[in-house]
Amino acid sequence: MTKRNKSNIIIHILLCLYTVVTLAPLVIVLSSSFRSIGNMTSHIKLFSEFKLDSYIAAFTRMNFPVVFMNSVLTTFGSVIVVVLIASMAAYPIARIKNKRSRFLYYFFIAGLVIPSQMVIIPIAQMFNNLGISYNRFTPMIMFITCSLPFSTFLFTGFMGSVPISIEEAAYIDGSSLFRRYFGIVFPLLKPATVSVIITQGIWIWNDYFFPMVFVSRSSQFSLPVAMIQFLGDRENPAQWNVLFASCILCALPLVVLFLVFQKQFVNGVAAGAVKG
Amino acid sequence: MQKKRKEKSLVMTNRMYLFLIPALTMFVIFWVIPLLMLFRYSITNFNGINQNYDYVGFKNFITLWKENIIGISIKNTVTYTVILVFVSNVAGLALAMALNAKIRMKGFYRTAAYLPTLFSAIVIGFIWTYVYMPSNGLIATLMNQVGMDGSKFNILAGFKSALYGITIVDIWKNIGTAMIIYLAGLQTIDESMLEAGQIDGCTGFQLMRYVKLPLISATITINVILSVIAGLKAFDYVFIMTNGGPGKSTNTLMYTIYKIAFTDQMLGKSAALSVIAFIVIIAITIVMLFFMNKREVEL
Repeated sequence: MTKRNKSNIIIHILLCLYTVVTLAPLVIVLSSSFRSIGNMTSHIKLFSEFKLDSYIAAFTRMNFPVVFMNSVLTTFGSVIVVVLIASMAAYPIARIKNKRSRFLYYFFIAGLVIPSQMVIIPIAQMFNNLGISYNRFTPMIMFITCSLPFSTFLFTGFMGSVPISIEEAAYIDGSSLFRRYFGIVFPLLKPATVSVIITQGIWIWNDYFFPMVFVSRSSQFSLPVAMIQFLGDRENPAQWNVLFASCILCALPLVVLFLVFQKQFVNGVAAGAVKG
Repeated sequence: MQKKRKEKSLVMTNRMYLFLIPALTMFVIFWVIPLLMLFRYSITNFNGINQNYDYVGFKNFITLWKENIIGISIKNTVTYTVILVFVSNVAGLALAMALNAKIRMKGFYRTAAYLPTLFSAIVIGFIWTYVYMPSNGLIATLMNQVGMDGSKFNILAGFKSALYGITIVDIWKNIGTAMIIYLAGLQTIDESMLEAGQIDGCTGFQLMRYVKLPLISATITINVILSVIAGLKAFDYVFIMTNGGPGKSTNTLMYTIYKIAFTDQMLGKSAALSVIAFIVIIAITIVMLFFMNKREVEL
């Protein structure tokens, strides 16, 4: 019994240390964001002031309501399309067992290892050739494309847990292929759908690269791109509190969602990796 | 569970391949064809605007080699990847094991560890710029508090230390994900297996090495693969925090490709480096898959 207590104490100490390393920068950012704009006293004097000046400045400079809506629209739009077309693609790949399906499976997965910086220029050329104009929705094309490999992989892994016998019964009852998929198979894929929504939603919401390349008008920026405008302010210590406030504004939506749906987040991330 | 079916099934017809069309179309047009276009651009002097470019043969590759861009960026990327893979997996696994024990405040620790993974790279870049800031950043201030000279601390300005500096940031962000996945893997272990080990007289370490680790080898594989992919893609913190500097000490493959294309406007040269990066990535992936498959059986 005492041995167990001792090892538990060591575990607690290690976990506490790690938690401090993780949270310390975040707590300091939070405390400094509540300071008035020019307050340059040492940031580690936590919560010494409680004003919203910095938030108001960050809010107006980022044009928060507009960029927030842009982020919400592109993220939701992309995730919905990804769930739909990736799960559809996984259906024949998982159900028809032959060489062609196996090839398609690896063909999609191979997309995982290619970084977007590498292909961005030919993609831009492709957009020009196809006459696709650049606006707030252009990055969605790339969000969807880049989400396909992982989502298809995940849906294919889960498809095995949907019994074929249900489908065979439905076939005998005369349902068409489309009825069978959307009426029976897709609803049973719910755990995979949740997992895709969470893993892909997080990266799409946070991605700044595609919007940075494809969006030039500030009224069409997404949240992370609006943050890039502050890059120059790092050199100016007087602006740090505003910078911190904008960091909090940018991170808050996801953090709130996480705290509300914590179980789904944790299960979704884990299921994505373990089941597949 | 599924029995091996015959090629021709009445229910699973080839008509099902229709479901593939939307995903396959997007994937081919916006990912596969652009990737193939890279190979053509790599032997041209295309600058992104003038469509009357010339084919210059292997000139781009030779320039990249002569300027030593290839060597430096591959070396930086591989260093970054090795450190990231090693530290985030060892630390992630250790954290997961600690959290898998019967302790109080588990939920709090887990939430805290997972929090950084929710932040955009751009936000994390800003936060760590402050942490690393010379003279009044977080680390420098703490050093001053304990009586060391914080003004000398400037990790991002050192030729040798800058790359480690940004790797630490990526590790800090990634441990949470690794931990969650390892925790899920550990929770699939059957209690009776551990009890059997204890009855056979295993010590805590033996139990971990010979029972737990082999049982979660699939989880280890997936986590290592995920972090290798993340490491080879290293771009964010170079772009946000160091711009490849000081000198070329943090020029990773992806950042160099981006810089040559967008700052120097030399798309042909950038495409040539992309081709090299492609070969490196594919080679590493194949070696890794081969090694992982073999090891999984042995464990």
